[in-house]
Amino acid sequence: MSATDKKSLADRLGLKVHSGVGNAGWGRTVFAAVISFIYFFPVFWIILTAFKTHNDALAIPPKFIFTPTLENFVAVFSRAYSAGAAAQDTGFALYFFNSVFIAGTSVLLALAIGTLAAFGFSRYPLRGNDTYLFIILTTRMLPAIVVIIPIFLMFRVAGLSGTYIGVILLYTAFNLPFTIWMMKSFFDELSPDVEDAARIDGSSDRRVFFKICLPQVKAGLAATAVFGLILTWNEFLFALLLTGVDTRTVPVAMAQTIGGDIGVRWGLLAAIETLFLIPVIVVTFMLQNHLLRGVTFGTIKR
Amino acid sequence: MTAGSADVAVRLDSVSKRFGNVVALNRMSFEVERGRLFVVFGPSSVGKTTALRTIAGLERPQEGRLEINGQDLTHAPIAGRNVSMVFQSFALYPHLTVRENFAYPLKEARVSAGDIAKRIDEIAEILKLGHRLDNKPETLSGGEQQRVALGRSLIRRPDILLLDEPLTNLDAKLRDDMRTEIKRLHRQFGITIIYATPDELEALSMGEEIAVVREGHVVQTGTPDELYLTPKDLYVAQKIGSPTMNVMGANLGGDGTSIEVPFGSFALPDITLPPGARDLKVGIRPADIRINGGAPGGISGRVHMLEPLGDITIVDIDAADQRLKIVVREAEALSLQPGAELSFNFDPARVHVFDAQSGQHIT
Repeated sequence: MSATDKKSLADRLGLKVHSGVGNAGWGRTVFAAVISFIYFFPVFWIILTAFKTHNDALAIPPKFIFTPTLENFVAVFSRAYSAGAAAQDTGFALYFFNSVFIAGTSVLLALAIGTLAAFGFSRYPLRGNDTYLFIILTTRMLPAIVVIIPIFLMFRVAGLSGTYIGVILLYTAFNLPFTIWMMKSFFDELSPDVEDAARIDGSSDRRVFFKICLPQVKAGLAATAVFGLILTWNEFLFALLLTGVDTRTVPVAMAQTIGGDIGVRWGLLAAIETLFLIPVIVVTFMLQNHLLRGVTFGTIKR
Repeated sequence: MTAGSADVAVRLDSVSKRFGNVVALNRMSFEVERGRLFVVFGPSSVGKTTALRTIAGLERPQEGRLEINGQDLTHAPIAGRNVSMVFQSFALYPHLTVRENFAYPLKEARVSAGDIAKRIDEIAEILKLGHRLDNKPETLSGGEQQRVALGRSLIRRPDILLLDEPLTNLDAKLRDDMRTEIKRLHRQFGITIIYATPDELEALSMGEEIAVVREGHVVQTGTPDELYLTPKDLYVAQKIGSPTMNVMGANLGGDGTSIEVPFGSFALPDITLPPGARDLKVGIRPADIRINGGAPGGISGRVHMLEPLGDITIVDIDAADQRLKIVVREAEALSLQPGAELSFNFDPARVHVFDAQSGQHIT
């Protein structure tokens, strides 16, 4: 078979011959890059705006070339609330801590409880297992706005309003259905023979879970954690109504920064948003190898 | 513990196990002598795996009794049985390296780190896996995975090793090698092995003793020769021996001293027929039929098809509406052509007679 025959065969089968840019070829790579950039543009624009002065941020036509400044980032944490007044602490250091603490704790709690529950649902099914799983999911079927009033009243009565524990419990409960469903699908994929082999090798059920099952679903834990983190990190409505002055999260504090004597301070908002993006990007980046395996699990294996 | 049970490693006594409406084990009984390579043989889903899992302690039977080394362990926990098992899927720990797979059962048994390292070196040497110790299972070939599974089972020196269709997931060439390997390991370690397989060749070539299983119970236990020469019923007769035994309907001749088959009749062999038994089945092994080249007393037939297998050839012949398989040596088969007439005969003493209703062998 000659070289041309090979090429035409590859073409007929829709296969691309290897080139410097992987299997996709230049055309597709450039196309994907353009689409990616369109999606990324708002984020890019926010980051750009964070480095602009107030005047540059409002300039029409929009400026791509400007002298960058860090004044917005300084103003996030400390600024004068009226012209000529002394700069004050804005409390944003605390709000960032609150966001990290609340989102981190609730995601970890949901992961711990949800993974155990998922293992139970996967390995020790109850009579009517699917019904329970369905009921768990129904808690996420109502829009937040519908359940906010009863939850608000419950929190008032229970004295949980404005406390860390209150909002952490709420976010944990909100992350649980997703965590259970995700993790169950990962446990379902594991070979039961492997667990039986461990039992024969002398492991108790507890050790089978921790030593054999859990390490095999690391990718699932990573994927579930990232999705849960993004949801919790960005949550606004519950945080607005259920956090207090000291437990306020960044999205709520950001909303309250919008007003001001010189109109909306876009540069300041963009700086807050830029700082707000960093933790999620860092976590996602750290877990990205697991994440890719996690989201494709079950679709390519077996 | 009775005196007679000292040499019995495993005894199943009327063990039954149901999963919902499915009966996996139906009063299954067998005894395995210590140090034996014992084969549990039968087609898929007759309860072989459940039997092994029951011995390992992964399943608790609803009825019956399981003894290991003379002790009643029917409801005992897995730990302490000192039984290990190789699964059909190998069931290696995918997140651990080969070394860690080997170490796992020893760590669970709290063996010291020094001893673990020593034993891993030993087993890697025996199984020729030294160069693979730091690899993950997914990077190994099928045969290597199989050896890791064997090694992980042998490393803690169990009394009893259970092998559940260990060769089914390997390709044909590898199966040959692994059969030899398992026999070698059996000799080297001298442990009791219970080996489940649906493959007749494996059963006959590996088993010192074979239990033929049908629908959750043992039909017959015996050495390969016993099962081949004196099958207890039609089921065993047709499961053991390749090509399969020729079986045909038959009647007792009018005078009661001969048996009539579709292509003729022959003298009743030296058996005791139960009174009134007229409806019979007759089985003749393909290897017991000889081409006689037109000598007197021959039965004539027509060659239907030839299956050359190298040194032997399986010949399908039609004789009076009856399709028979016979085994002939390659040299004899050279002259045969499909459609050719030939004459054959067989030794009536080697014919198996069965009751057509019950399938029981009549002796």
